[in-house]
Order: sequence, then structure tokens, then C-alpha cells
Amino acid sequence: MPPAPPPGAEHLLRAAVRDPEWRDAVLGDLAEEYARVGQRFGAHRARRWYWRQALAIATRVSAARLLPGSASRRPWRTPALDVEPGVRLTWLSDARYALRALGARPSLSAAIVVTLALALAANATVFSLADALYLRPFRFAGVDRLVVVSSASERDPLADRSSVAPADYRDWVRESTMLSDFAAAEFWDPNLSDVDVPEQLAGFRVSPGFFRALRTEPLLGRTFLDEEAAPGRNRRVVLSHAFWTRRFGADPAVVGRSVRLNGEPHEVVGVMRPGPSVPYGAEVWAPLAYTDEEWRERARGFLLVLARLGEGRTLGSARAEMNAIVARQRHQFPDTHARRDISVVSFTRGMSDGGTGPFLGVWQAAAVLLLLIACANIANLLMARGTERQHEFAVRLALGARRWRLALQVMIEGAWLAAFSIIVALPLAAMGVEGLRRGLPTSVIRWVAGYEFLKLDVAVLLMTAALGAAATLFFSLLPALQASRAAVSDTLRQGGRTTTVSRSRRWVGTALAAGQVALTLALVVGSALILGAVDNAVNGVVGFDKQRVMTARLTLADGPYADQEPRRQFVARVLERLQSMPAIESLGAVSFLPYAGNSSNRPIYPEGVELTAAEVRPADLQRTTPGYFATLRIPVLEGRGLSDADRANGRQVAVVSRSFADRYWPGQSPLGRRFKIAPDAPWLEVVGVSGDILHDWFMNQRRPTFYRPLGQDAGLTLAFVVRTTGNPTDVAGELRRAISSADPDQPVQELLPMEQVMADKVGGINYLAKALAAMGGIALVLALMGIYSLVAYLAARRTQEIGVRIALGATRWQVIRLNVHQALVITGLGLTMGTALALVLGRVMAATLYGLVSLEWLPVAIMTAVLGLTALAAGFLPARRAAALDPTDALRTS
Amino acid sequence: MAAMPPTLPYLGEFEYAVLLAVMQLGEDAYAVPMRELIEGRTGRPVARGALYTALERLEAKGCLRSRMGDPTPERGGRARRYFAVSPLGLRALRSTHTAFARLSQGLEALLEES
Repeated sequence: MPPAPPPGAEHLLRAAVRDPEWRDAVLGDLAEEYARVGQRFGAHRARRWYWRQALAIATRVSAARLLPGSASRRPWRTPALDVEPGVRLTWLSDARYALRALGARPSLSAAIVVTLALALAANATVFSLADALYLRPFRFAGVDRLVVVSSASERDPLADRSSVAPADYRDWVRESTMLSDFAAAEFWDPNLSDVDVPEQLAGFRVSPGFFRALRTEPLLGRTFLDEEAAPGRNRRVVLSHAFWTRRFGADPAVVGRSVRLNGEPHEVVGVMRPGPSVPYGAEVWAPLAYTDEEWRERARGFLLVLARLGEGRTLGSARAEMNAIVARQRHQFPDTHARRDISVVSFTRGMSDGGTGPFLGVWQAAAVLLLLIACANIANLLMARGTERQHEFAVRLALGARRWRLALQVMIEGAWLAAFSIIVALPLAAMGVEGLRRGLPTSVIRWVAGYEFLKLDVAVLLMTAALGAAATLFFSLLPALQASRAAVSDTLRQGGRTTTVSRSRRWVGTALAAGQVALTLALVVGSALILGAVDNAVNGVVGFDKQRVMTARLTLADGPYADQEPRRQFVARVLERLQSMPAIESLGAVSFLPYAGNSSNRPIYPEGVELTAAEVRPADLQRTTPGYFATLRIPVLEGRGLSDADRANGRQVAVVSRSFADRYWPGQSPLGRRFKIAPDAPWLEVVGVSGDILHDWFMNQRRPTFYRPLGQDAGLTLAFVVRTTGNPTDVAGELRRAISSADPDQPVQELLPMEQVMADKVGGINYLAKALAAMGGIALVLALMGIYSLVAYLAARRTQEIGVRIALGATRWQVIRLNVHQALVITGLGLTMGTALALVLGRVMAATLYGLVSLEWLPVAIMTAVLGLTALAAGFLPARRAAALDPTDALRTS
Repeated sequence: MAAMPPTLPYLGEFEYAVLLAVMQLGEDAYAVPMRELIEGRTGRPVARGALYTALERLEAKGCLRSRMGDPTPERGGRARRYFAVSPLGLRALRSTHTAFARLSQGLEALLEES
């Protein structure tokens, strides 16, 4: 006897399929297939399968039955609807009546629809971004079983996941029982040469099991064999589908051919299928081939490690096991592992940028705030309208209508409004998403996993519909309550004459408007803080002069440039060729360009201080030519800069940054002091102190840095900086030619003016700031509209009272004061709540955006003042108009 | 459309496929193998719900007849619903087939897969 299908799903099907014979056939068919699915994939997946089928069939069958105009297509002889005809009619007539009621006030309805649509579109746009980049950036089979294991702390969201030492990796593969299919990858961006335009590729060296762990198959050829993970046999390469298409025109004959990477021929053994290129948009993969000695490396970690959860294992159990393994390693290797961390996170979390979550969180929160503001606005408009309709409601109550029916009526009107708003919001959201796609700088797309999923899809539509429904509930609840409480006799006795609005009604309206002001203030302050941060990152004090500087970044291949001497010669040849150009003021080279996102650090052992392993702190290492400081105009504060006389065989020297000097020799001159970068390394003598620069905008910190002369220490990563007399892009061609004449096979990774490098780096956050500012603007308009309409409405309700007052000799000012009073209360309340909210928001942003945003009082004060004044103005205008009433006209109305 | 006599029901593309599958399966024509056959031969995924509604629709049009088989334990004691193409269904199939055949006359060289 096969296991029974899930009873809940069977119930669902029974409810959906009414005809007993059909019901038997459908349930029987599924039971038959369920048994087969169970045998092949196990009971758990069979149940999921059954539920999916049941839902799909029930949906399809019900849709076929309910679809209007398909009488002849209606399946399974059943009565049309399982609802009493009488009840159904009322619903229908209610819906129609609500539609008519909305049509009677077209401008009000249109205002509500546009307001809500804007807010919904903003939410849908941001949500589509969050869904693509944060919630589901990787969509391939089995991704939910993949994990990233790293030696970084679980709690550090900015942790570098490529941090596993090779020896650790081998231990884990051997010892872990919860995880299987371990795979390791190491960054390897090789230079492609022997082609018309050499270029630097995004690539990884991977262990042979890498593709198996990902469960991906090649489109052509094969992936790596186990024996290819050995030095000497590793000159193989697998191409990504995108790279194969772009560079080889999707030519299948490329398999078996040889391409030159980092100066060495590599045989193309395979091409992967189209789809996500893991990790980080890799274009090529080569085997990870370490010597036995390299595998014994335990101190330095640089591997990205993936693994697959074993059958029936959970992330929690894997985490516990890895923690135990590393706890043991800490005892076993106290020298290197005393402070080693471990984290096991899902593939999605591990492979996406740590900043994405808070970044999108702030954005989504702002969008929700905007929606709340819109809802408060609409609630106020609807309540104003509800007061006007009190007479209508009273009559209907008197004629025997139930109170809940009137409330329902108002809710149905809200539902119609929401439905229209969703329809209007969708094209707006599509435009928003398209704008987002275009707005992302191409230089960062490689790092944005899930970018290809950025579109309006079902998830976004569902989200929008759900928000629309929630919004409806939110903004029509108060008016509905109001409608259900209408007092029959009082209202009818007043005979529909205008009256002052009840005290409670006025307070609810005031509270809503004040809430809008408060939320708007928070939103505006939030966007001002981020805008300020972006401005500060680009235009603030960075410690160097970014203007009129052209830059070229490149990486030398470790084959031909394995030794220091060829590296130096390459740099010398490039600089020499450019030296004589009149358009060039000064030039230099450095290993890591500020703001370019990469850096390298070394542990520092100052002379005369005994440090334990735990006390050693790292500082940034830069290798530069003497001209670098002058070119970026980084001041030399003490001693001298680097000079051409600092040669490999001479005294080993370094220039250190102010913060470096202050950290190790506070209050003393660092000149002549010495330090080492490893216990067994030679001493480096400090010959000068330079000004601090901001190397990494995101951390917003001056990092202690030491500069070594390229003549004594040359690396593979290089950036040329050229200060020009005119437009920096004018020398771009010359710079490129100088590099290719020094080595025709050398690709240039990026050729950009310094200002552009910085603008690109803050592109993402800049985009966020602008989007927030736009939402703040919309919110401001909505809030002002809210205040204006509330004051205007209250004044209109008091027309008669005002007429009497004027007739009795009240001055114009007294009348204005009477009405402005409300605006004052709204503004005062709103600003008080808003300031508190803005301060909390500022704190949260300062905490989540890693010191990028700092909470300052000035913007808060300015925004509060601006908002307060405009809010008062919005209240003053209708009040003044009310005071201009002619008393005879006023008393004659109604 | 002109090729079809007006009395015959119009067959949609999917209905056409379903009728052919019923004929191919003969005595064994119930929903499970039907779906597998269509998916197997056309390479197009077939939603179960779509198949059931199409079968019901075709029966309502008079193109299919159905009978209930005997209950079996592997189906949780439920019977299979077997289908057979009715004479009207056969005529509709023929006319659809002929219509397409006429439309593709002279194009065989282009349409046949080598």
C-alpha cells in the first residue's frame, strides 16, 4: 500500500473539483503519480510535489469555472457559484454603487489614485531591487543547500569570505561529516594576450570538484580532472558562456585550442552553460594547483570555500561541527589560530556584498514611510469626504441599512481605489526598475549578484498587490468606523446644514496630518544625511587633489613578471615615454589607487617594542615611485619623500602616514625609527611623514599607511597617475600607448580620470541618496497637500460660523488665527514627533551604514525649519481665503 | 478556417494535441499517460490542470467520450477515467489536420526536418 498523499492538499482538490466522477479521476491520477514521485525522490519531495500540483490544478479548474463568458468551456457540470444568490447580488451591487460614488467625485478619486500609485510604484521598484540583489540573487537548482565557509566572523557583515588558509581547507575536507562536496576558489584575474586587444579577465582558480559542488555541467567539453590540480599540469581553462560568446563568437571549435593567459598557453577544455557565473561573474576558471608546501600554508588565508550540506543536515548542525573543528585547531596551532574565526553561511548570504542588506533596507524603509504618508493623506481625504456624506449615511440608516453595511461600503470604495492605483502603479514601477537598471554603473555590475534578475516579476506584482490591499485596510478603516457610527437623529435634524466638525473627528484628522509631517521630516532628514555623506565622500577632505589627474590601473602577469626587476623595468619604460610630454605636469605609479577598492596590508613590528601575536596590528602597504606624492599632491610633512636613489641594494626605507606615525610613536618624531613587516624581515627605516589620505570612502577613516619605494619593493598590481595641465582625458590615448609600447601584451584594466574613479565608487550610494531625495520630495508634497486640504476643509465646514463672527465684528486677523490655529497644532505636533523620529533614524543609519553617515545637528535643524515654515504656509493659504468671506454670502450658503 | 465546415467544433492547438494523444493511446487513454505522451513527443510541458480542463471541454463539445474504469489500490481505491475519440471528434481532427496540410502544401522541403 503506497503512502497516502497529504490530506490537506486532497481536501483542496475535493473542494475545487465538484463533479464526483472527475474528482475520483483527478485524485486517482495524482495518487498514482505520487507513488512514483515518492519512489524516485523520497517522501518529502513527493509531498511538496503533490501540494504544487494540487494548487495548480485547483487554480486552473477554479479559473476555468469562474471566468466570465466561457459558459461553453466550463468544465465539470457544477452550479456556477457556491454562494447564495441573494448575498452575491448585494456584493455586486455594493461594488457597483461604490464605483458610482467614486465617479461622482472624479478629482478627489484621481488625486487618491495618483498618490497611492506613486507610493506603490516606489515600493515595487525598491522591492524588485531587494528581491533581485538581496533576497534571491542566485537562482539555480540546489543553491539552498550550498554554503560558504570562511575564517571570518559570522557577525562581521563586511567580512572577506575569501579567507581560508589552504591547510585549514584540507583539514576541513577530511574532518567534516555534515558538509560534502567541498570546493575552493582563489582570485585569479589573468591577462589575456596574443589577441588584438589584450584585456584582464575576471577569473578564479578552482579545485577540481568546484563545478560538481555547484551541480553545473559544461555546455561543451569538460571541467577539470583531479590530476589537473597539480603544478605543471594545470594549464587548462574553462570559459564562461558570456566570455565565450563575447570573445570567441560562440565558436564550438574553441575547445581544444590554446589561449595565452598571463603569458602562458592554456588549453581550453570546456565552456560552461549560460547562467549565473560563480563566483563574482567569473569569465574563466583554471585548476587550483598548489605544491605540497603551498598546501601546508596555515597562517595566511585567501581561499573562498564552498560546500554542500549533506543529506538531511542543516546549516545549524554544519555550523556547530565547524565550530568544534576550529576550536580544536585553535589549541593545535596557537601561533596562527589563536584568534581564528569561523563562519558557515548560506551561499546567498556569503556571496552577496555585506553592504547590500542595510543599503536596501534603508531604501525599502523609506519607500514604506512614503506609503504610510500617502495612506495618512488618503485617510484624511476620505474622512473629509465621509463627513460630507454623513447625511447620506444617516438617510440610509434610517431606511434600515445595517451599520456594518455602510462600513463595508466605505471599505469597498477603498478596495476600488487600491485596485485602480495598482493598475496605475505597474507601468510606473516598470519605469522605475528600468531606471535602476540603467543607473547602475557598469564597473560595479560584476559585483552585483542577481543584477540579471532585476525586472518586474511575479514576486514584485504580488508584493505590490499585497501592499495595495494593506494600504486599503489602513486608509479606509478610520472612515469606515466613522461611517458606522453616524448618528441618525442628530444628523437628520441638522438638515444637512454646515456645522463645525466634531471634536474627535478634528483630532483624528490633526493626528493624521501631524503624522504625515513627522514621517516626512524623518524621510527628508534621512535623505539629507545620505546626500551629505556622498558629497563628503566625493568632495570632502580626502587628503589629495583629484583634479586633472588621469589614472590607469593594471595587473602584471605573474609569469613574465615573476621577478622584481622586470616589474621595475616595465614601470620605468612607461614613465620614461610619458615624461617628456608637455601636457603632463608630473606622474608616478602606486600599487593601489585610492578609492579603487583594493588595498593590501602588513603586520607592523616597531623596533624596541615586544609584541605578542595578538597585539600586532596591520597597516596598509603602498609601493610607489617618487613622483606619486607630487602627482596626487599628498604633502610630505616631515623628512623627505621617496627618491630615485632608494635602490634595491641600498638602505631599506619607508615614508609613513601621519596616522601611522601617531600610532607607533605618539608625540615623537618618527624620523630614523625602524619597523619590520615580519619577525624575520629586514628593518625598514622611516625617512619621511606624509599627510593622511582617505583610501577607502566606505570606511571613512584615515588608515595608517606606509609607502615603500618601487625601487626596493615592486608588486604586480599597479596604477599610473598622471597630472595634466589640461583635460585629463586628453592624455588617455598617450597613457595607453605608453603601456602597450612597454609591453604589447599588457592589458589596461581601467583608464579613468581620478574624479571618475571616485564618482564610480560612490555611484551606488549616490543613487540611493538621489532616490531617497526624490521620495522625500514626494512625501513633502503629499504632506503639504494633506495640511492644506485639512485646513481648507475645516474652514469650509465653518463657513456659517465665520460669517456670523465677521458679521459680529471679528477682524480679518482674528478669523485667520481661528483657522491657522489648526495648522499650528499640526505643525508643532508633527515636528516634535518628526524630530524624535529623525534622530532615531539617523542613529540607525549611522549604525547600519558603517560610519558612512554621521548624524549632524545642522541638517536636522535646517530641515525642521524648512518643513515647519512650508507647513504653516500650507495652512495659512486656505485660512486667509476663509477670512476673505463676505458675511452675507457665508450666511446664505446652504 | 474556411476549410472547416461550420458544424464542426473548432479545435485549439492544445485540444488538437490532446485528441491525437487519446487516439495514440487507444485503450489506455487516461490523463497520466496522456500527459507523458504529449510532453515526450512535443517537448512542451503540460500542466495537469490544463489537461483536465481541456478534456472536460472536449467532452462538452462532443469530441470525446469517457467511461470510468475499475478502482485500484495503487490509486487509493479510485477509478480511472478513460477517454475515446467520438465520431464527431474524429471529423474535427481530420478537418483540422487537412486544413494544416493544405496550408503547408509545397512547403514540405522547408518544413521537414532533415
